Amino acid sequence: MTSNVDEQDLKDRLSLIETMIAEGRRTTESWGWTFVLWGVAYYIAIAWATLGQSVVAWPITMISASVLTMVLASRRAASRPDTTVGRAMLAIWFGMGVSTFIVMMSLGISGRLELHVAVAIVGAMLGAANATSGIILKWKMQFACAVVWWASAAISCFLSEIQAGILFVIAIFFCQIVFGIYGMVAESRKRKAGRAGHGVSHA
Amino acid sequence: MPDLPELNPVIHGKLRLALLSLLSSVEEAEFTWLRSKTGSTDGNLGAQLLKLEEAGYVAVEKKFVQRKPQTLYRMTDDGRSALTEYVSALKELLGSAI
Repeated sequence: MTSNVDEQDLKDRLSLIETMIAEGRRTTESWGWTFVLWGVAYYIAIAWATLGQSVVAWPITMISASVLTMVLASRRAASRPDTTVGRAMLAIWFGMGVSTFIVMMSLGISGRLELHVAVAIVGAMLGAANATSGIILKWKMQFACAVVWWASAAISCFLSEIQAGILFVIAIFFCQIVFGIYGMVAESRKRKAGRAGHGVSHA
Repeated sequence: MPDLPELNPVIHGKLRLALLSLLSSVEEAEFTWLRSKTGSTDGNLGAQLLKLEEAGYVAVEKKFVQRKPQTLYRMTDDGRSALTEYVSALKELLGSAI
């Protein structure tokens, strides 16, 4: 160690680098609200399609939820930086959403859409998106949601229509509503911990 | 005795080091976000970002989003190389202490 360089000061510099990099990465993890929003959107679509017997219930609800997500996300993104991980998340969920919408719409218009098929497709798609996101974010809880969606997709193929519908409602509750609220609480805790742990006021 | 590495004085400042570290983890960031993460004042933050810009370590882009002015900062390739070299020098100086 050189005489004019204080060892503790250098360690502080190294620690500062690690803290700031972690702080920058933490920014990407504020998406719990989207899971709750989409969980509620699924419930609205199910209720509307079942009780109202409407064929436009799903397309209208899904398009409305997409627009609402984009508006809310762009407002939140205005004060947050762009990250590679954030763009990866956007790509995964955008791809999953568009793929699911196209397939479901085509099946619906052609008259070949059954509840078993719908639950299997949506479950498999959500399983893939959750698994990919969970692996990138190293979030075990999200990967667990993927497993639940995959299981729902597979099991629904062997159930009656009513049973498949009930299974879908249960999966939405745990993988969208409960997981979304859990994510929001976890993100809030991280933000509080982050606020308490930083502050570099001089040059 | 082997020569000990020099620490880059532009990066060594605490706030400039924090800013470069933050920018290394994102693609680009707005001035207000950098201010909230560092807890710095507008004047000090602007001055330190200008030093990093003059050194070629950050690039600045000014634009309007929903009619509001936005100043975005992005780490350059030179900035990334400089930060990497700084971390290597730090580790070499600390040696077995870490």
